Amino acid sequence: MAGSEVSDIAAPHVSELAPLIVLLPMLAFAVILFLGKVFNGNPMWKNSVKEGGIIALGVMSAVLVLSIILIMDFIGGVQAGHDSVFHWFTSGVWDGTTGGVSTDKFGFGIYVDHITVMLLFVAAFLCLLINTFSIGYMNTDPINDNRNHRFYAEFTLFCSGMLGMVLADSFLWLFIFWEIMGLCSYLLIGFYYERPSAAYAAKKAFLTTRIGDVFLMIGLVMLWDLFGSLDYAVVFASGEIEKVAEHSAGTLQWALGLMFIGAVGKSAQFPLHVWLPDAMEGPTPVSALIHAATMVNAGLYLVARMFPFFGADALHGDLADLAFIIALVGGITAVMAAAIAFVQMDLKKVLAYSTMSQLAYIFTGLGCAMYLANTLYWHEYLPDGVKNPDYYDNHYIVIVAFGAALFHLFNHAMAKGMLFMASGSVIHEVHHAHHHLHHHDDHDDHGEDHHDDHHDDHFDAQSMENMGGLASKMPITATAMLVGSASIMGLPLIGGFWSKEGIIANAWRVAQDDPRFLLPAMCVLIGAGMTGFYMSRMWLKTFAGKPNNEVAAHVGPTNTWIKTPLFILTFVSLSSILFAGMGFTHWAPDEGYAFMSEKSLVDGIIYELGHAFANEVPYFFIITYIAIALGAVAGPGLALALYGGQLEEGESAKPWMMPVIRLNAWVKARFNFDNSAFANSTLAVALQNRLYIDHYYDMAMLKIVAGFSTKAAETDADVIDGTIKTIESGSQSLSTVVRSLTTGSARDYILMVSVGMLAIFMLVWGVA
Amino acid sequence: MIDPALVSGLSALMFVIGLGGAFTRKNAIIVLMCIELMLNAANMQFAAAAVHHGDTTGWVYTIFAIAIAASEVAIGLAIFLAMYGQHDTISLDDVDVLRN
Repeated sequence: MAGSEVSDIAAPHVSELAPLIVLLPMLAFAVILFLGKVFNGNPMWKNSVKEGGIIALGVMSAVLVLSIILIMDFIGGVQAGHDSVFHWFTSGVWDGTTGGVSTDKFGFGIYVDHITVMLLFVAAFLCLLINTFSIGYMNTDPINDNRNHRFYAEFTLFCSGMLGMVLADSFLWLFIFWEIMGLCSYLLIGFYYERPSAAYAAKKAFLTTRIGDVFLMIGLVMLWDLFGSLDYAVVFASGEIEKVAEHSAGTLQWALGLMFIGAVGKSAQFPLHVWLPDAMEGPTPVSALIHAATMVNAGLYLVARMFPFFGADALHGDLADLAFIIALVGGITAVMAAAIAFVQMDLKKVLAYSTMSQLAYIFTGLGCAMYLANTLYWHEYLPDGVKNPDYYDNHYIVIVAFGAALFHLFNHAMAKGMLFMASGSVIHEVHHAHHHLHHHDDHDDHGEDHHDDHHDDHFDAQSMENMGGLASKMPITATAMLVGSASIMGLPLIGGFWSKEGIIANAWRVAQDDPRFLLPAMCVLIGAGMTGFYMSRMWLKTFAGKPNNEVAAHVGPTNTWIKTPLFILTFVSLSSILFAGMGFTHWAPDEGYAFMSEKSLVDGIIYELGHAFANEVPYFFIITYIAIALGAVAGPGLALALYGGQLEEGESAKPWMMPVIRLNAWVKARFNFDNSAFANSTLAVALQNRLYIDHYYDMAMLKIVAGFSTKAAETDADVIDGTIKTIESGSQSLSTVVRSLTTGSARDYILMVSVGMLAIFMLVWGVA
Repeated sequence: MIDPALVSGLSALMFVIGLGGAFTRKNAIIVLMCIELMLNAANMQFAAAAVHHGDTTGWVYTIFAIAIAASEVAIGLAIFLAMYGQHDTISLDDVDVLRN
């Protein structure tokens, strides 16, 4: 029933080239893997094609162009729609109520709406930039020689998975591409599989996300049971949700809740967050792309896809509990991850916890938007057909709440992608400086041993202990990191400020209606201050102050492949105000609303500025300034007083970084805090141990899983094998007895035949 | 005319003699002869029964059985010949290759 009708529903057709966005990277995966096997070690393959990097770059450029064409078509009037691309298979489905067999068609189609468009741009744009970065990062490190083709092949397969998930027209395909991404994540975290820690991290990431995926799958089955299809076009068709809502609203809430657990696993939220920090074992471009900018957004995308359920009047108020759970999980994770980030010394680990914390903000934002959509009447007509008197106000509230969450997704992806690339740039150069200093003399006769050399020394190029004062040595990287940190912190006017303020304000708006929401609202407000602290701490420890050791003093600038994406993303983050002005905070999740703000750009910016800084409602005015005070003054101020300081004599950073460093030096001299009391406290130790959550999981694994496995092994050995062994030994001893009858003597056989005959006669006689 | 009951009794005696010989003797030819004896005991039983019932079916069976016995003896002797060729003996106690 699904497929055939669906193609009729299809709105104005999306570009016929759209499937290429998914197919090209998938093709590139096969091509790079094949060519890599054939040409491995070939100097031309290594130097000109960058072991596949250039092929991937070409494909990702084409994908970005195609994506922009698709997005332009959409903005130009192709309405939210669905286009069937190919027919996969038809399956007979037994209908329990009528007893008949109906056929379901399964095919792949492209579905384009507002959410698709935004994520498509984020994914395609970042895939291209991070691909550029990878060429500068992977191909210049001898440890990767002759295996970069594996990296690029898995990288392109991942891009295909992400783009496919975003474009897919049904929850089924979403799930399939979701798993492709999970596989690539596993493969890429374990890229350095010879390191036990990387192999362990890969396994942990794969298994932890799989726990969520099992729930997601159950949720999807339930959804299929309710709607008879997983196609968006069928599930979200007008009237469908109303029909289901009549008799099984409770089941629907459970189905959505289970799907949400899948999202929790994928987006590394409490309690399935444990895999993300360990996933930093992968190469830095992987951390940047998969574990910060795109794959972890898949969970958010899934939740955002559920929006029509929450927004349906037929389910009015039925899904409020689920919305609260979404917001609560977000709130808890936001504070917890930020707290753990306080004490991390590893540059990438700080960013990993920051990612968890910021994704949690988006979950809170989505949860609040879902709550508002579910409890307010925000459609033009009320369920009974009367025109809604509060239409304008409520519609605006819902759209802005949803838009703020999605806009934060956008800002976070851009900023975090950039931060990871910048951190990669720092790590790369620190590593090279270390190598230069310690292995310069015998560099030439290393040859093959060069590879192992990395593992033998205990120098940690990712630790901030080995950095400091790099602002003067890596100007572009330091600037990118500064802008990225400001965007994540939500410093006024930069990047994440617009979206984060929106999320906080909406959380407090919901808290007015429902006191339960005070908890997540409080969490995101406090989290803003914590973000300000740990991001500032990271920047100051890395770039300000004096070099911590000789290695840090010898760091040089990075290469062009790495600089270019940093440069571009710095501008994207800085121009966030333009996006806000274009109406990115007004994300329209339904078709009756314009995609972009109808205001002109300048009017839009003026409106947003007024809305943010001079809100006419006192409640929101106060909350905005509390958030700014915490996130932009208190948090960073504390970090300025504790870390960093003046640069080395005679060194100077770029003019736009000097004020920060001067302020840092002044604050640090003025308030000379001693934080050793905190650093040795139980709390700090607990935070360093990730609040012991991993520890408890390990214990639980050991107790429950290992205990169960041992019992299962015993059962296998004793009961199952035991039964078979008893049968076997029994028949063997029986055969020993029977064998003795076979004497080989003909006379014995005659005797037996006779006795047997006699016995038969007597039996026949006896019976007769 | 001889009482068929006597013939039947003689037949039973012959059968038991044949069976006993087959159990106890180890020369294959003697065992074969004992088996023939048992077969003939059965033939006599047929004949006795035919007389007793006044039905010729028993006679016909006897003729058949004699014909089959003749061919059976031919096969049996051929087997013993082959056995002698292989084992240089026709003693049943010495041919127990199935056992070992």
